[in-house]
Amino acid sequence: MIGIAAPLGYAAYLSFFQDRMIGGNVFVGFDNYRRALGDELFRAGLWRVLLFLLVQVPVMLGLALVAALAVDSGRLRKPGLFRIGIFVPYAVPAVVASLMWGYLYGDRFGLVGQIGDLLHVDMPDFLGSSWMLASIGNVVTWEYVGYNMLILYAALRTVPHELYEAAEMDGAGEFRKAWSIKLPAVRSALVLATVFSIIGTFQLFNEPNVMQSLAPGVISTSYTPNMYAYNLAFNGQQFNYSAAVAVVLGGVTAIVAYAVQIRSMRKEQGK
Amino acid sequence: MPPVRTRSRRRLLALVPAAALALALTACGSGGGSGSGGGSADPAAALDTPATITFWTWAPNLDKTVALFEQKYPKIKVNIVNAGQSATEYTKLQTAVKAGSGGPDVVQVEYFALPELALSKRLVNLKDFGAAGLESKFTPSAWSQVSVGGGVYAVPQDTGPMAMFYNKRILDELGLQPPKTWAEFEAAAVKIKESDPKRFITSIDPGDAGGMDSLMWQAGSRPFQQKDATSVAVNLQDPGAKKVSDLWSSLLSRKLVDAAPGWTNEWWQAMGSGQYAMWLTGAWAPGNIASTLPDSAKDWRAAPMPQWSAGENVSAEQGGSAVAVPSTSKNKAAAAAFAIWLDSDPQAVRSLNENGLFPASSELLKDQAFLDKPLASLGGQQANQVFASSSAAVGQGWQYLPYQVYANSVFKDTVGQGLTGDLGAGLTAWQKRIADYGNQQGFKVTAP
Amino acid sequence: MSVNTPARRRPRRASNALTIAMGLMLLYALLPLIWLFMSSTKDSASLTSGFGLWFGHGFHLFDNIGDVLSYDDGIYLRWFGNTLLYAVVGAGGAAFLSTAAGYGLAKYRFRGRTALSAVVLGAIAIPGTALAVPTYLLFSKVGIVDTPWAVLLPSLVSPFGVYLMRVYAAEAVPDSMLEAARIDGSGEVRTFFTISLRLLAPGFVTVLLFALVATWNNYFLPLIVLSNPKWFPLTVGLNQWNSLATGAAGSGATTTNFYPLVITGSLLAIVPLVVAFLFLQRFWQSGLAAGSVKE
Repeated sequence: MIGIAAPLGYAAYLSFFQDRMIGGNVFVGFDNYRRALGDELFRAGLWRVLLFLLVQVPVMLGLALVAALAVDSGRLRKPGLFRIGIFVPYAVPAVVASLMWGYLYGDRFGLVGQIGDLLHVDMPDFLGSSWMLASIGNVVTWEYVGYNMLILYAALRTVPHELYEAAEMDGAGEFRKAWSIKLPAVRSALVLATVFSIIGTFQLFNEPNVMQSLAPGVISTSYTPNMYAYNLAFNGQQFNYSAAVAVVLGGVTAIVAYAVQIRSMRKEQGK
Repeated sequence: MPPVRTRSRRRLLALVPAAALALALTACGSGGGSGSGGGSADPAAALDTPATITFWTWAPNLDKTVALFEQKYPKIKVNIVNAGQSATEYTKLQTAVKAGSGGPDVVQVEYFALPELALSKRLVNLKDFGAAGLESKFTPSAWSQVSVGGGVYAVPQDTGPMAMFYNKRILDELGLQPPKTWAEFEAAAVKIKESDPKRFITSIDPGDAGGMDSLMWQAGSRPFQQKDATSVAVNLQDPGAKKVSDLWSSLLSRKLVDAAPGWTNEWWQAMGSGQYAMWLTGAWAPGNIASTLPDSAKDWRAAPMPQWSAGENVSAEQGGSAVAVPSTSKNKAAAAAFAIWLDSDPQAVRSLNENGLFPASSELLKDQAFLDKPLASLGGQQANQVFASSSAAVGQGWQYLPYQVYANSVFKDTVGQGLTGDLGAGLTAWQKRIADYGNQQGFKVTAP
Repeated sequence: MSVNTPARRRPRRASNALTIAMGLMLLYALLPLIWLFMSSTKDSASLTSGFGLWFGHGFHLFDNIGDVLSYDDGIYLRWFGNTLLYAVVGAGGAAFLSTAAGYGLAKYRFRGRTALSAVVLGAIAIPGTALAVPTYLLFSKVGIVDTPWAVLLPSLVSPFGVYLMRVYAAEAVPDSMLEAARIDGSGEVRTFFTISLRLLAPGFVTVLLFALVATWNNYFLPLIVLSNPKWFPLTVGLNQWNSLATGAAGSGATTTNFYPLVITGSLLAIVPLVVAFLFLQRFWQSGLAAGSVKE
């Protein structure tokens, strides 16, 4: 417990000071927080990850759910192969995953470019400013779709077999079974997966940070709030302000994650 | 209080005649300036006392030069540690010095980061350890870059006088000569594009502040000035900067120059496959070309930088590092003696060059064998002559800000974002970010 | 409690359409890995030319592996060992501590319980990158910067694991059972070790596997707290090679080409985890399945 609380408390403590190159370390109260709330770069980063959240998380979880249902349906040849194969990317460190995809995205010599040459079409520049967020979304989806699939699949496996038999006797088809038995069964697992995806999204860092070297003109130092906090501390030596940004970010994350959880719990009770 | 005691001990060690040190270390006491006081501690003594010093550097192959040192001074053991490159290393150094422990005794620092580390007292003034008399051993620009606020905070290790590397096969194919002026450069860019729409004369890196700095430096711009300890000036719109931004904006908007990040796999492939005809960069580049492009390295040659006025010879630096001693080192005398040996001993300087570093040593730059050496990585060209002449022509008076690490990190946020069109607007945005940060840090910032 | 292992379902007719659709997804998952493997078989000349998803001139996989293992006196193997140490000790410790803490939070009413739960949630929500510098400063005060402890200690602490175990323990260990144990005169510690721990085992395995992956892939913290490559885990070491490959302009030329080293090194770093997944997937799945069982 101390292990959790100590760096957290120390970060909070740091956030009330300001250490300037000229003038030294002074207590500034809530100044850093006031600055963070009015900081356009921070806000732009927050909006960016929010957009990411609204698109990438549903897509990823939707794919994971479809995959879980498919593997569970018993209508797949070699379901074990699919289960493991789709899950394998989770074993790849985010840094390595981003490096690999970064290479594949290259529109001249990467796979994308080679496919374009083969088909004699101009491929979109996945590392350009209009595609970058989607490209990062793809890397994140690639890494975690199998992992989420496994969580959902595990929840599906707990459905008592009798339920299916009863439904079949009632004449329910595959689709009907999926809708009225399977989906409610994965509900709590889905909420859990959503909450973790939300947290992960707000903390988006490794993927854009690696991609930055491939597209420095697209990914700024404040591309995501977490990158902003990092760059403030590590390039700007603004540890105190960085700590304040991190605390605000943590607050926003907690509120959003909590709201989603409460909402889904209420829905469940309402039934 | 312990810190005070440490400081007074350092004072004592500091009282070393510079000339004596230079003599003891290099046995060719050409260094002057023996006037910096008499002393008690002896650098030869420091080198004769068993000690282990830790050296943070990311330059590859330095172990070979260090081995020479350990042979000569067997009582000193040097521990080479790669603690990360550039900003990663500086952050670790800053944090370690702040925390008071965990830092190295000797550290590699690029010139642009030196003022920042020196002014925040992260580094030791090497004048106190006999570096004052070393001025004549280094190129004037290298020496001026390690001299900050009247002190000497590092020993220059390598430099990057700029050159124009070009793909001879492409230029021959188009019947072009290496351009001597920027006007010729522009004309060549048009011809190269006409020969193949996928070709560019070169690329410019939206993430590399150093590359832009060097182009402005060569054009006579001096955008960053430290006026005194608490005030700085930033002007990214002076005439030199304007010349650069006008030319490159025009080249970029006509798609004659590519805006692609350097050093990526994609970029190397473009270099290797003849999509880029040139690379304007520092004299350290041949080694990189040879190791990454083994098949096409033979096509590359070096020429002097294009000039703004025909017949002139003005150059600039691109990159380069020096070696410094952090203020938390427990073995400052030995650390400083090692740093001085590493970068000024004739044998060491040669070894550094053999291992890929372009010298900061003025003596080696005049050495006939060095100048006449054919570089296998550039098709046997005696390219050191081009580089040495560039080194002698580096424009004087360039300075970096006391927070250049931050300034460079936001280059991609400002100039980098506008690299497809108006460079001038990007430079203005960069200037604003730099000024804002300076004000936040308590500096008095003058900006137009 | 109804932990059930569903009996094998009646075999059904396999659907080709579904198999093909999932096949595409499988291809998506494996494509980058195929690229990584193909690239590992190339020398540096074919790396910068030629098609990414096929072999280049000659088969250089074993030469490349040899280069990776021998570079810098076999530092790669050292990194491998470090990673193994951090993963095994860190993940094992994290799983155990998380189990104990999560159980405590779920099953005992004490003052400050709500506050502690809030701290756990806060620790999940605040990005680790932001805590890196405070952690560094704290560690340097204790004097463990640049030692394995600086990596091990923080990996022992897993707020995520605590959270997961709290949720899990709340459901897996019935209060009635604890009451019964208390009436039988069993001490709390004994109850934990003899009764609760067994019920928590599937959750424990799940957290262990999560922690294993997390420590194996741990990058940011070791990057900050370690300076000496002797103690690097694979991720930091590989990234150092990568930055040597991409070069910091103007700081001395590299005479080694690091691209093949980075690519082959990455491949070698992934293999053990994939193998571990193949072997452990049965446990992993039963843990996750049991995790969503309702009382």
